[in-house]
Amino acid sequence: MEEQFLIEFDETFPEESNLFMEGVMDSFGYVQLCRFLEQEYDIQFTEEEMTGNVLTSLAQIKKYVAAKVAAKTT
Amino acid sequence: MCGIAGFVNPDQPVARLPETVSGMLMAIGHRGPDGLGYVLDDHFAMGTVRLAILDPEAGIQPLSDPSGRYWLCYNGEIYNYQELRRELEAAGIAFQTHCDTEVVLQAWLHWGPECLARFNGGFAFALYDRHERRLVLARDRYGKRPLFYTRYQNTLLFASEMKAFLAVPGFSFAQDPEQLAAIYAQWTPLPEQTGFKGIKNLPVGAWLSFQNDSLEQHTYYRLSFETDIRLKTEEEALERIRDTVSQSVALRLRSDVEVGVYLSGGVDSAIVAALANTLSSQPLSTFSVAFEDKEFDESVEQQLVAQQLESHHVVQTIRHSDIVDSCPNAVYHAEIPAFRSAFIPMFLLSKRTSEAGIKVVLSGEGADEAFLGYDLFKETLLRAAWSDLSVEAKSARLKQLYPHLSHYGDQDNAAKMGLYQQFSTEHMAGLFSHELRFQNGRFSARLIQPGLVADPFAEITALVAGDPQFQAMSPVEKAQWLEYKTLLPGYLLSTQGERMSLAHGVENRCPFLDPHVIELAAATNLKFDDGFREKRLLREAFRGVVPAAVVDKRKFPYRAPDAEAFAAAPPDYLDLIRSDTELAKIPFVNPTFAKRLTEKVLNAPPGGVSTKENQTFLFLLSTALLHHFFVAREQAPFVLSTGVRPPVQRVVDLRTGSTN
Repeated sequence: MEEQFLIEFDETFPEESNLFMEGVMDSFGYVQLCRFLEQEYDIQFTEEEMTGNVLTSLAQIKKYVAAKVAAKTT
Repeated sequence: MCGIAGFVNPDQPVARLPETVSGMLMAIGHRGPDGLGYVLDDHFAMGTVRLAILDPEAGIQPLSDPSGRYWLCYNGEIYNYQELRRELEAAGIAFQTHCDTEVVLQAWLHWGPECLARFNGGFAFALYDRHERRLVLARDRYGKRPLFYTRYQNTLLFASEMKAFLAVPGFSFAQDPEQLAAIYAQWTPLPEQTGFKGIKNLPVGAWLSFQNDSLEQHTYYRLSFETDIRLKTEEEALERIRDTVSQSVALRLRSDVEVGVYLSGGVDSAIVAALANTLSSQPLSTFSVAFEDKEFDESVEQQLVAQQLESHHVVQTIRHSDIVDSCPNAVYHAEIPAFRSAFIPMFLLSKRTSEAGIKVVLSGEGADEAFLGYDLFKETLLRAAWSDLSVEAKSARLKQLYPHLSHYGDQDNAAKMGLYQQFSTEHMAGLFSHELRFQNGRFSARLIQPGLVADPFAEITALVAGDPQFQAMSPVEKAQWLEYKTLLPGYLLSTQGERMSLAHGVENRCPFLDPHVIELAAATNLKFDDGFREKRLLREAFRGVVPAAVVDKRKFPYRAPDAEAFAAAPPDYLDLIRSDTELAKIPFVNPTFAKRLTEKVLNAPPGGVSTKENQTFLFLLSTALLHHFFVAREQAPFVLSTGVRPPVQRVVDLRTGSTN
C-alpha cells in the first residue's frame, strides 16, 4: 500500500487513518487494492458487504480480511 | 482572431514605449501572422496582431472612433455582429468598415457595458478612452478568448498570452505555490488563476475598468440553468435541438476565409461537420488526430464521417515520440501546468491545419457540458441517489459508468460499490460532484512542499459559496457549473484549445458554446430520460444525419499517451525533474515526492501507472518547463514559440511632440 499510494504509515499517519478522508484513496488504487486482497488471500468481496464501510483504513482492512480468511477456514 | 497586448501608466521613458509594445506583440505574433498594429500616447500603448478573417483590407487595428478619443484592440469574433450593426445603424450610427471590430467599438459607445450581454461570440478586448484615461478590458461569457493582466509598479499590463510580459523591461515571473496547489488539486485553474504570482486571468463573463490607479471589476453574465423554454414532448425537443444547433453552426460559418472542421471521432464534431457541409457552399475540409497507439485512436469513426461527407480529410498521426518532441513548445504556448498530454497532439494538428491553408475551424467543444456528455454527470446522479437505491440498482448503474477505464470493469463491481459508498454524501461544501476526481487532485497537490499551502481547495470552496445561484442548483447542475468554470475554460478551450490552435494561427469556433444552445440544453436535460445514456437527445436529434456507428458510440474521452510516452524514450529535458540540482531551483516542489513519483512512472510496467500518477507527472513536468522558460528564462522565447513575426501594418503615434 505504501508503494501504491506513495505514503508511509507512521505516528503522523497511523493505520487507523481513514484513507478516503485523508485523500489517499482514489478509484484506481481502491480497485487495485481490492483485487490484490482477493487474489492474495483467496477471498471474494460481495457487492452487498462492500456497502458496509468495510475497507476504509489499513487497520480495518487487516481486521476484515483476517475475519474473512478465518471464516473461510472454519 | 487576433492577439492583443498593451499597458497604461507606463513607468518607463516615453521614448521606449514603441519598443516595449511591439516586443509584447511580437511575443504573441503567432496569434496574428497577418499584421501588427499599435497606438500610443504618453500614457498608454496597446496593439493587435491580426489574423484576418472578416474584411481583411479594412479591418486593420487598432481602430478608433472618428474623433480619435476611443481606441479598440479586439481579439475574437462576435457572430451576431451583422444583426447588432443593423440595430446600431437604425440608431443613426454610420460605419466605415464591414468588420465586426467596428461593431464592438460602436456597440460600447452606444450601449456601454450593456453591449456585452448582447454579444454572441468569443472575444476579449481592450478599449481606451484617451480623454478620461480609462482602460476597459472585457471577456466573453464562456472563456473562448483569454485576457491576462497584472500590475507592475504603477503600470497595468495586459495581453492575450502571458508570454507578452516577457518583453516588458524589468518584469519577472514567479510561480505561486498556492495557485499551483489549487490547479493540481482541481485539474485546472479557477477563473482568475494563472499559476503565476500577481498575474490574473480576467474571469469569463466579466469586464474591468482601470482609471486613476484604481481597478474595478464587474460581472455582466452569471452562468445559470434557468430557462423559460417549456417543451411538452421529446419530438418537440429534438426539433428545437436540430434548429438551434444548425443556426449556431450557420452563424459560425460567417467568414471571408474557408472554414474547416476538427473531427474527433465523437458525435459532437460529427454533427458540426455534417451541418457545416450542408450549410456551406464550399467543399469541406476536415482534420483529425490519429494515434499509432490504438488505445487512443478513433480513426475508424473519423473516416466514416469524412467518407460520408466526402470531405478533404487530413490526418495527423501521433506517435509517442511526437508527444515527447513537441511537449516543451506546447507547454510554452499553454503557459499553465497541464494534467494530461492530450493538448500536445492538438499543437501538431493546428500546424497541419495551418499548412493546409485553413485559418478557421469549427469543433465540438461544449456539447458535453451542455448536454451532459460526461460520465461525471452520471456518477453524480448515482452518488446523489445512492442511499435510496437497492444493491441491485446500484450494481446495474455502476456497470454503466466509465467503460473506457480499465478499473471500471464488471468484475470490479464489488470494489466500486465500496468506493461509491464512501462518496455518497457531501464532504466538501458545494463540491459533491467532483469529490472523487478531487481525490486524485489531493495526490497531485502533494507535489507542493508540506506545510506551504493549508488547503488547496480553499479558493474553489469560496468560489462556489460566493455565487448567488449555485446553492439552489441540483447536484448535476452544480457539476455542470463547476465544469463551465474549471475544465472547460481552464483547459479544454485554452491549453488544449485556442492556445494550441493559435500557436499556428488557426482560430477555433465552437457551435455548442452558444447561449441559445446552452439554454435549450438546460430545458431538455433529464426531462425526457434519466441521463444515463449520455447526450441521448442530441444523438437522437441528429440520427440519420451522422453515421449510425457514431450516433450510437459510447463517449470516448479524447486522451493521448501520458507518462508512457516519456518512459519509452526519456528526453534530455526530463533532467529538469530527475536531477536534484534542477529540482532544487523550484523551491516549493517537494523533491522527495517528485523524484519518487517520477521514477515510479518511468519504470512502471505497461498499464501500471494510475490516473493520479499520470496527471501528477504531467503537472510536475509542465511546471518545471514553465519555470525554465518563464521564471529562469533559460531558453529564448523565439526558439520556443512558432516564431511568427507579423508585418507592421499600422502605427499611430500620439505622443507629445510626435508628428504622426
